[in-house]
Amino acid sequence: MDDLIYTLKQQIIEALNLEDMKPEDIDENAALFGEGLGLDSIDALELIVLMEKNYGIKLKDPNQGKEIFKSVSVMADYISKNRTK
Amino acid sequence: MEALLNGRSGVGLLQYLKTGHKEFPVGEVKLTDAEMRARLGIADDAITTRTALMGMLALEEALQDAGLTTDMLPKIGFISGTTVGGMDMSEQFYLDYINSEAHKEYIAAHDCGSCTEMTARHFGKFAFVTTLSTACSSAANAIILGANMIRCGEADIVIVGGSECITKFHLNGFNSLMILDTEPCRPFDATRNGLNLGEGAAYLVLESEESAKKRGAKAQALLSGYGNACDAFHQTASSPEGEGAYLAMKEALELAEIQPSDIDYINAHGTGTPNNDTSESQAMIRLFDGKVPPVSSTKPFTGHTTSASGSIEAVFCVLALQNGFLPVNLNWSQPMENGIVPVSQPSKKALKHVLCNAFGFGGNDSSLLLSKAETSRRFDGLNDHAKAPEPVEVPTHTTASTTWYILSAKQISLQQPLSEDWMQEPVIYDEPFVRSIDPNFKNYISPIEARRMGKILKRAVATSKEALNASGLDTVDAIITGTGYGCIENTEFFLDALSTEGEQLLKPTYFMQSTHNTISSLMAIQTKNHGYNVTYAHKGISFDSALQDAWLQFKLGKINSALVGGHDELTETFYHILKKGGMMGKDDERCGEAAVSVVLASASHYKEVRRSHPEMKPLCKLSGFEMLHQPSMNALRDVVAKMLQSAGKSLADVDYILTGISGDHGNDAAYLQEAKTLFGDKPLLKYKHLFGESFTASGLGLYVAAQCLKAGRVPFSLFVDSKEVSDRQPKCILLYNRSDGKNCSLTLLED
Repeated sequence: MDDLIYTLKQQIIEALNLEDMKPEDIDENAALFGEGLGLDSIDALELIVLMEKNYGIKLKDPNQGKEIFKSVSVMADYISKNRTK
Repeated sequence: MEALLNGRSGVGLLQYLKTGHKEFPVGEVKLTDAEMRARLGIADDAITTRTALMGMLALEEALQDAGLTTDMLPKIGFISGTTVGGMDMSEQFYLDYINSEAHKEYIAAHDCGSCTEMTARHFGKFAFVTTLSTACSSAANAIILGANMIRCGEADIVIVGGSECITKFHLNGFNSLMILDTEPCRPFDATRNGLNLGEGAAYLVLESEESAKKRGAKAQALLSGYGNACDAFHQTASSPEGEGAYLAMKEALELAEIQPSDIDYINAHGTGTPNNDTSESQAMIRLFDGKVPPVSSTKPFTGHTTSASGSIEAVFCVLALQNGFLPVNLNWSQPMENGIVPVSQPSKKALKHVLCNAFGFGGNDSSLLLSKAETSRRFDGLNDHAKAPEPVEVPTHTTASTTWYILSAKQISLQQPLSEDWMQEPVIYDEPFVRSIDPNFKNYISPIEARRMGKILKRAVATSKEALNASGLDTVDAIITGTGYGCIENTEFFLDALSTEGEQLLKPTYFMQSTHNTISSLMAIQTKNHGYNVTYAHKGISFDSALQDAWLQFKLGKINSALVGGHDELTETFYHILKKGGMMGKDDERCGEAAVSVVLASASHYKEVRRSHPEMKPLCKLSGFEMLHQPSMNALRDVVAKMLQSAGKSLADVDYILTGISGDHGNDAAYLQEAKTLFGDKPLLKYKHLFGESFTASGLGLYVAAQCLKAGRVPFSLFVDSKEVSDRQPKCILLYNRSDGKNCSLTLLED
């Protein structure tokens, strides 16, 4: 799981173009949206693309993302249970 | 008209666009490009784009309907809105543009301005031509500019509207934003789940009351008010309370001097996305204090025709006014939470005043107030049309103030960015294309904000912030940007992914940045500015068009301050494409980038600034501005004389002429010859050799001239002819921009 979390952080940094950020800078338990990293709806869409591209998980409704993208650990947990690649 | 009354929608299965996304219903124009060419009598091998072809069909109808003939065009303006431009061709041939010589003749048809020029050229020479690009409100803003021109007395008749075809590019872009519905769209319904794309074109003929009377033309409706405001919330989402929408509608009512209770119908933007309809509902409920008049979205009939929607729906409003009916909001069945309840049955109703909303990405929100022709109100008679025309009346305006100051100007280029020290010793370069030297953007933009900004946006933020800072103003009334190509780097990323990886997994960030108005709206979001906000994308007069807009609104007393920008970026790939397409880079011409931001203020506003910033000194005065389309030498001479006269000057008072010669030998020779003919032995200056050529290089020209006036000297490096070098102190500089020999602008600056 820790490996997945680390990889996921790298992928998030790349997908969202978070210049100057390293995986260590992201707290996997902190909120990604709102108070935490301060991401918004477009970032959520980028994360949906990320999940489909890297893990074969398709989300049809952007609202599903609200639960899944709560934090990096919640996201990693969802990916490990639903990944198809 | 018959379709509107009988509830017959044009939205259906995809038929013409070649895409894998057959699951999305669309509102296509049921003609192939070849069929449109045949109707227009255009040769099969002529270079055209679908946007231009639809535009020509609409413009032809508009001219006929308003009784205008081609010999009248040189006195008529043409303003069109588009965002897609020639993307239908670029997305087919993108890999050819990079890898081969095939289809390179379409490269010059890519930009928005080219489509407007192509449309115009089919009919002849107009008095002036320009292109608005504010995403889905483009056509509405074209109508607003046309009305401002008539009110300022710049023209009697202006043809305004927009055209936009469906492309794979924006179908996939909207899909990446997950806002397309696979079912027919249901605006304001509880189950609404996104929009359907559409395409089309519509133009309206705006005419002053006096001119229409003189011609014996009968107005089909009146344009009695209009408003433009920026939501300043997010690049792709509307604020929950619909602030921009509220302000735009409110401004339209105020301009027309009518009460909310006088409005009989609202043609809503109503896209069918959960976000738009919630936000727009809130804005209407607030403006009408809960007593919202009948509302409908006509997008279920047409799909969302994006940049053209503002004028297409304005035509629907004209039809509703003329025929006394409420267009139905198709596909509606269940009320949404906290939303308005739209017109669900077609019904007859006499209408006097109607509002027509058009909102765009970046929160570029506009609203038009159209009134029944017999209603005696103040403005233009609309000679509309794409499907029907009308004249609008507008009183010619006299202005309170005649002096406008350029308070500050900042640039980023290969010359030392954000500083004027470079003028002593400019960098002379030898590369075929010139890259800008960027400042440390971290001083202007936080890393989290920077995540989605291409370099063009970062430069816009840095130059704007520096210019605002140097101006002493905390805020401005208007943010107006010119850009020939917009955020080309992101457009390229998106096109590249589309061409090589196909229509799956495209990044929404690239798409949302590809619209030209991203720059202006970003500045509004960054500075929380809800004021007037538009973007022009018309080739070498993109910046000039932005300056003209500010100039008109100063004259109308509508604004007291403005941030005007000119921004274009270059990538290595794009440079090669431009060169291949013969767009730039001939002979000694270098391709460059432009990033320039200028703050202007009225004399009264400047006085106020001086009170709190006594040290503040403006760079110079802006004393005159004119823009022309393919003018003859005589026409140019007349305009120069008129401009100097209204500034209380004569040609003898002009010290220098700043030209935009670029190193393209053929073009420069004709340019200089014209300048000699027009201005005699005035010393000629140049600036593009220091920056490279770009569509918004003329913004750098304004910057250079303003700095010379402030410094009281003209650096040696600016003289076209070394024999003309003089240390004469510049008091008055005339900027003569001649773009591709088609469009000219004249800007008069004084110390």
